[in-house]
Amino acid sequence: MTNPRILPDRPLRTLSGAAVALAIAALVAMVLWAIFTTASDSTAQPPRVDVWHLVAMTTIQAGLSTVLSLLVGVALAWALNRLRFPGRDLVVGLFASAIVTPGLIVAFGLLAVWGRAGWINQAALALTGHPLEIPLFGLGGILAAHVILDASFAARILLARLDAIPAARLKTGQSLALTAWQRFTVIDWPMLRGSLPGLAAIIFLLAFTSFPIVLLLGGGPANQTMEVAIYSAVRLDFDLKGAVQLALVQIAICSAVIVAAAAFAPISAATGASTEPRWRDRGPARLLQRGVLVASVLGFGLPLLAILVNGLGPGVLDVMARGSFWSALGSSLLIGTGSALLTLLLALGIGLGRAATPRPSLRTGIGAPAYAYLAVPAVVLSLGAFLLVRNAGLVPETAAPAVVLCANALLSLPFALATLAPPLDAIVRQRGRLIRSLGLGGWQQFQAVEWPLISRDVGVVLALSFCFSLGDLGVIALFGTQDFVTLPLLMYRALGAYRTNDAAAIAALMLVITIAAFVLLPKLVGRLTDAAS
Amino acid sequence: MYSFNRFALAAVICALAFPTLAQDKEAKPVLDIYTYDSFAAEWGPGPQLKAGFEKTCGCTVNFTTAEDAISTLRKVQLEGAATKADVVVGLDTATSGEARATGLFAPHGQQLNGLVLPWTDVEFVPFDYGYFAYVYNKEKTPNPPTSFEELIALPASFKIVIEDPRSSTPGLGNVFWIAAAYGDRAPEIWKGLKPHVLTMTRGWSEAYGLFLDGQADMVLSYTTSPAYHAIAEHDDKYAYARFTEGFIPQVEVAGLLKSSDQAELGQKFLAYLVSPEAQKVIPTTNWMYPVIDIGADLPAAFGTPPGKVLALDEASIAANSRAWVDAALAALQ
Repeated sequence: MTNPRILPDRPLRTLSGAAVALAIAALVAMVLWAIFTTASDSTAQPPRVDVWHLVAMTTIQAGLSTVLSLLVGVALAWALNRLRFPGRDLVVGLFASAIVTPGLIVAFGLLAVWGRAGWINQAALALTGHPLEIPLFGLGGILAAHVILDASFAARILLARLDAIPAARLKTGQSLALTAWQRFTVIDWPMLRGSLPGLAAIIFLLAFTSFPIVLLLGGGPANQTMEVAIYSAVRLDFDLKGAVQLALVQIAICSAVIVAAAAFAPISAATGASTEPRWRDRGPARLLQRGVLVASVLGFGLPLLAILVNGLGPGVLDVMARGSFWSALGSSLLIGTGSALLTLLLALGIGLGRAATPRPSLRTGIGAPAYAYLAVPAVVLSLGAFLLVRNAGLVPETAAPAVVLCANALLSLPFALATLAPPLDAIVRQRGRLIRSLGLGGWQQFQAVEWPLISRDVGVVLALSFCFSLGDLGVIALFGTQDFVTLPLLMYRALGAYRTNDAAAIAALMLVITIAAFVLLPKLVGRLTDAAS
Repeated sequence: MYSFNRFALAAVICALAFPTLAQDKEAKPVLDIYTYDSFAAEWGPGPQLKAGFEKTCGCTVNFTTAEDAISTLRKVQLEGAATKADVVVGLDTATSGEARATGLFAPHGQQLNGLVLPWTDVEFVPFDYGYFAYVYNKEKTPNPPTSFEELIALPASFKIVIEDPRSSTPGLGNVFWIAAAYGDRAPEIWKGLKPHVLTMTRGWSEAYGLFLDGQADMVLSYTTSPAYHAIAEHDDKYAYARFTEGFIPQVEVAGLLKSSDQAELGQKFLAYLVSPEAQKVIPTTNWMYPVIDIGADLPAAFGTPPGKVLALDEASIAANSRAWVDAALAALQ
């Protein structure tokens, strides 16, 4: 589809993209190797579970989570792109924050609304005198939680694509009097299509490796993921060889999805600064958009609102009066800022490198390792990182912040790439000829053409990776982090010490910071870019 | 290798950015203790025990933590003889056999008179104990079941939350409990429990959170859980169900590592751990019973430990643990 001759020749970009990809692949390989060599003198025990049954069950769950999340995500992005209403920025920020909020918090938020003692049931009890029987535990509950996390994330990314449709294109469409459906298929769909494979891969991987949510809402051992089996091999049986073998099965399955997504042909779509939409859909389409929005606010917004309501009581002052909170906040902010910048750097390296080459195999090779990190079980990463640090002669406690920073950057890299890669692809394919004819150098191309067009996405990437680091425990389970405590660690400590109110308060504060980051960071980056140009 | 160097480089940068107290300038000996996270947390017994022991030992106590007790054992196993740990605190009945088999632990050298538990172990010193139990809300459940069989006979709408035996200590304890109480009938009991199991969480925290949120009627926890609510929250509506089968204890222990270069200090710490001064700290920080009689220093809310106690010996746990867990999971499947 793409004519390679329109691409400007940028061997350095391809090279640095390949270098970053290689480094990540090497890291994953070293993590596995470190565990495997440690376990070399033992023999693998037979796995406790029927692995292939587990693989089948997990694949079905992850596949359903992916399809549902993408459907809902596209619908929500479509509705948000068309509608303007007071508080829209806040709603967009709220949706985006779901994915970076620790899954457990979201699951508890879901239960606070839909559970046995939740808001809906209390309302039903007050109105009708009978509680509703909402089957939350089981596959349905798992899917609901995954859709809350992933669909709202997908919507945020897709909304950015729709918002980047150039005004001129919309004007043409409006003058042609396209119907709402034609507008979606002719103007919107080409913009969205490029982002879907990357999003699908991420959502599938997240659902495939999901652990606490699956156990919390799964209703028993019938609904499980591979990740649980691997965790048990490491923790309970201390069967490291078996754990690596199971991890390799998981990585192999996930790799098929990753390679398929990374191999997708780049989409050549126009990108430009968007203005306030003057073109509204009419009639049933608008009604549908409002319906989608209301349903999403209720479905996605209420659980997050429940977290805020349950957490932001008088207990917050109690938590904030303690030194431990402020030092954890400090560590979290430092780690968040550092890993956000590192993520951006890595994502730009990979994204620019991948966009600069027309060769499909090279594109896949550069793109795939970024996702590989998501396919590796968390407990394996934690163990492997611990062994690597020890083998390097470092003291684990001292290295913990650096390891967490790297781990968080690698964790948010796939999300950053899903955000940045499609526009970077589109830009060189759309404007390659122009760049060549102007004879721009690589840096000029970035500064004058690419940066202004992606600055909005860069804001989203920074917010995403900043908040990921805020919300993720990372790999520090074995590192002995007595003096290095982050907010999520503080929250889990409180939960583990009967202090559920403290935990709720910390969860709510984390959510507030997250929403603020999503509302403010994209604006901030946008303003910096405007000021520079 | 690029990524490896990046790791190392980042570590150096961060070591400069976050100065830690790895070195003690006064050259006091350092006692390195590995323990689980909540033991050393600000609300746990760790800080008070550290302060208490440092008053007399002329040393510095340094806690290094892992997620949970079994992870501390895994950490020591991974580090082998090169570990910097002198003492490991927080292993329990379910893991001490495995810990002993690693051959990494040295005899504790303590007399251990006056314990309230029968104790013959020469390697591990007990420092607190509790019993796994189902906790309920007295206001919502005025007539709790008094045995597993009574629980099974209740309508399926009576829900319990349990923990996964593969990822949680109480979860594993529950498997041992049913195995000790019912022997060969255990799978039948698990089958009977299945309709009542709302869900099986990864850890105790999630399960207890679900229970407090009102999602389930009972939760697998400890006989001492109601004491927390009564003492820390002045709320006495929680109790544990008095199962007539008896209860299975979880004894938490500490052990000295053979590779320790502070063996004498380590032994002193073990002695301190079972002293009245340290034992008085335990109940309201770790929410477990003390292993010696501390008289009126044990708050009344702890009540008396259950009378009927079931026991499993280390050998049968080591031999059967895996089969019991698999049978329980199969029955719940």
